[in-house]
Amino acid sequence: MTLLWIGLGSLVLAAAVQLALRGGGRADRLFAILVLAGAALGIATAIGVLRDGTTLTATIPSMLPGGNWALGLDPLSAAFLIAILGVGALSATYGIGYMRYDEEIAPWPSHAFFALEVAALSLVVCARSVMPFMGAWELMAIGSLLLILTEYRHAEARRAGFIYIVATHVGTLALFALFATLARNTGDWTFGALAQGTREPSAARTAVLALALLGFGVKAGFVPLHFWLPPAHAAAPSHVSALMSGVVIKIGIYGLLRVVWLVGAPPPWWGWTVFAIGTFSAIFGVLWALAQHDVKRLLAYHSVENIGIILMGLGLGALASAYGHPALAAIGYGAAVLHTMNHALFKSLLFFCAGAVYREARTRDLELLGGLARRMPVIWLAFAIGAAAIVGLPPFNGFVSEWLVYRGLLQAGQSADTLRLAVLGTPALALVGGLALACFAKVAGVVFLGTSRSPRADQAREPSALLRLPAIVIASVCVAIGVAPPFVIGVMLRAGGFVESVAVDPGSAADVSRSAWQVAAFALVLLVAIGVAAFLMHRLRVRVSRRVSDTWGCGYAAATPRMQYTASSFAAPLLDVFGAASGVRTHRGPTVFHSEPFDLALDRAIAPAWASVRRVAMRLRRLQQGRLRTYLVYAVATLTVLLGYLVVRGGA
Amino acid sequence: MPERATPVLALILTLLLAPLVPGVAARTRAVLTGRRGSPIWQLYADLWKLFRRGIVYARVTTIPFRLVPVVALAAIVAASLLVPLDGRTSVFAFPGDVVAFVYTLALARFVLVLGALDTGSSFEGMGASREVTFAALVEFALFLCFAALSVVTHQLSLSGMAGVTLADRWMTAAPALSLVAAGLFILLLAECSRSPVDDPTTHLELTMIHEVMILDHSGPDLGVILYASAVRLSVLAALLGRIAWPVAKLAPALRLAALVAALVLVGVLVGIVEASMARLKLAKVPLYIAGGAALSAFGLVLLLR
Repeated sequence: MTLLWIGLGSLVLAAAVQLALRGGGRADRLFAILVLAGAALGIATAIGVLRDGTTLTATIPSMLPGGNWALGLDPLSAAFLIAILGVGALSATYGIGYMRYDEEIAPWPSHAFFALEVAALSLVVCARSVMPFMGAWELMAIGSLLLILTEYRHAEARRAGFIYIVATHVGTLALFALFATLARNTGDWTFGALAQGTREPSAARTAVLALALLGFGVKAGFVPLHFWLPPAHAAAPSHVSALMSGVVIKIGIYGLLRVVWLVGAPPPWWGWTVFAIGTFSAIFGVLWALAQHDVKRLLAYHSVENIGIILMGLGLGALASAYGHPALAAIGYGAAVLHTMNHALFKSLLFFCAGAVYREARTRDLELLGGLARRMPVIWLAFAIGAAAIVGLPPFNGFVSEWLVYRGLLQAGQSADTLRLAVLGTPALALVGGLALACFAKVAGVVFLGTSRSPRADQAREPSALLRLPAIVIASVCVAIGVAPPFVIGVMLRAGGFVESVAVDPGSAADVSRSAWQVAAFALVLLVAIGVAAFLMHRLRVRVSRRVSDTWGCGYAAATPRMQYTASSFAAPLLDVFGAASGVRTHRGPTVFHSEPFDLALDRAIAPAWASVRRVAMRLRRLQQGRLRTYLVYAVATLTVLLGYLVVRGGA
Repeated sequence: MPERATPVLALILTLLLAPLVPGVAARTRAVLTGRRGSPIWQLYADLWKLFRRGIVYARVTTIPFRLVPVVALAAIVAASLLVPLDGRTSVFAFPGDVVAFVYTLALARFVLVLGALDTGSSFEGMGASREVTFAALVEFALFLCFAALSVVTHQLSLSGMAGVTLADRWMTAAPALSLVAAGLFILLLAECSRSPVDDPTTHLELTMIHEVMILDHSGPDLGVILYASAVRLSVLAALLGRIAWPVAKLAPALRLAALVAALVLVGVLVGIVEASMARLKLAKVPLYIAGGAALSAFGLVLLLR
């Protein structure tokens, strides 16, 4: 545990360095070293915990209500801690290079907030009693707000920040209610003590489970609570989006898993609700992503999709637990944790690449880009790996966790009880995979392939090493997990088994880890097949004449870049299939086709509801005249009413 | 014949006979429409010719375009390792390999689509857009079939789902399995870009799906892509054959004969469909796939009830 504290201290020190030196090259170098070293120490501790399956604890004496502050590191928090520190440190390094493109903003406050945010996130997963948990939770919420507001000069960022802060505090409110329910009979607010009274079915337990869905759901951003996510991710700098999407929303998942750990096997209704929400989020997240033209908003909707896939795993775990299949529950929870980890990796990778494109081409609009593969080959390679991973293609890491979810669902289909209906999740997951493939074919094709659609894309160059290196590191990890999954699947099952509060039964663990080796073998077979095919193709190609000419245009030789297929047209047939649910307005004319995405939850439900709340509030405004006279009248009137009440009650 | 060698023999047989399946389909179509048609080994001749032709690369293309034949061939062959082609076991099997099967085919598709977008041609963009649209729906329907097979056989791998247990289940769950097999045939036509979803013999770029994506490929590149498509059709045909007619309990030699029979029969069926109905309007294709999905979904519901 000491190593972890030193690591977190190093993060705080990094922030202090930026604040003290007010930025500059020396501060940036020191900052990067401190952040990377701090993260390495924390990750080392977490890996130790995951490997041995132990739990580390610490207590800080406190005079505040709720008793001493308990902190700890168990396999569940260790898995999340690795994602937080790994993605956090690499994003911080990337952020140094990223912020140098913008000369109007002094980057040092943002860097300092970033390091503090990573420390706050680490504290959230280490907290084992209510006070430190809620404290770290609020630090995290405010840190995110400050980071979203980095480019506060843009109205877009201010609006996104406002939506975010409202949404996150709705969640916090639900968490207060949750902990108040848990702690109503005890003065000891450590998680261990809170768990005592709630392991049996009761009204309080039902309330806790429902409140967890709301409180942690806003943070996780599943449909329909996802509305704050796209504006925030689009308006924040890319390294912040990477952290938010890769890590911050996962804290919602962590919260749900922690609550399950607290209250024990959840009832079936909760499992089915989580499973249904997951399926719904996965399908609609990816569908709405397909409609986007802003590359960062598009990636944000993909986070909604992946949170959905994670929740399908979590729901499966909860259901298996409810119906009494502990081994399958460990697979479900383990798949959720593994996909959380994988999504943290490939999503931050994709945001790094999107950020590099944005900084170089100075636009996030897909329709203005094109042909960047030639101009930024390293970023293109990294993006292609990230895209293949998020679609779930072998041999990348996304495939491994999706395979585990599928496997769990198919296994659920063989049980004799109601649990077998969970097998219906497999076609849904397949649809999500197909839609994600369509979406990333669109992004990769329109941004990186073909020819440039505007002069902006022509000016793009390969970015500096500060932007490239973090992307290369993460891309390598994506490939490594995809090729050698047994190493991660084993520890993730340990985390999953920890949530279920059972040691994973050795028989089923051996079964899963054997098939993990088989997945690794298949990845190897695929790579060997590609190698052999490349060799054969080379032999065939060198024997014949090769020349270069124009693309076939049906005999038309004067093709221009504007004739290329656009992102709108590419996505149109799929969006048409889903009709009004696809969240897009299209304009078709004889010479134009244009589509405008909108958010069904924010623009169709929450914004109108907010507007009517405001309308009612405006009527009440007549009471607030700002004149002292009126307020005196109110005061006298209230006193009279209260005195009248006392008189009527007759001094009882 | 040793039992252990049959999966490998079946794989080699499939790889050798694959170009025959489109040939059988084309010949059936020709005969039914009153023409003599090309010989059934036409694709072998075409491949031989293409392998000696020169290659023209479009100027704007980059690495994905050159990767298309490589990854298409490698991924489709790797996926076929997971299919019990000999009717009993596959070369390689593990729990949940059905996911690897579908996603490896998706890898081939992903690279094919990127190769099409790499040319910057609006025709190929159009084809790519249609391909991903229909593929997403087909994957959904395909997993309804696989979920049904997994539920009925209590197996997690393809070779378990279409192997020994399935033969016994046909005795007890024949209605559901017939629905699943019929659904799978509908999906096979869509997945392999055959009529009524796509017309492999059309000559108008605007109406094509698969063919338009490979407009700019030429010479050996085109040859390998055509061969890989033929392998995909054959592997799915063999899988359909084993699900509709499980032969796991027969002698090895008979099972290999059943493989050849399945390839020819599916080729004939595809030809009959092509001769008897025109290509659907593009807007109707999702409904066609939904039809296939509905059949499999009914099968699954019968099994889950």
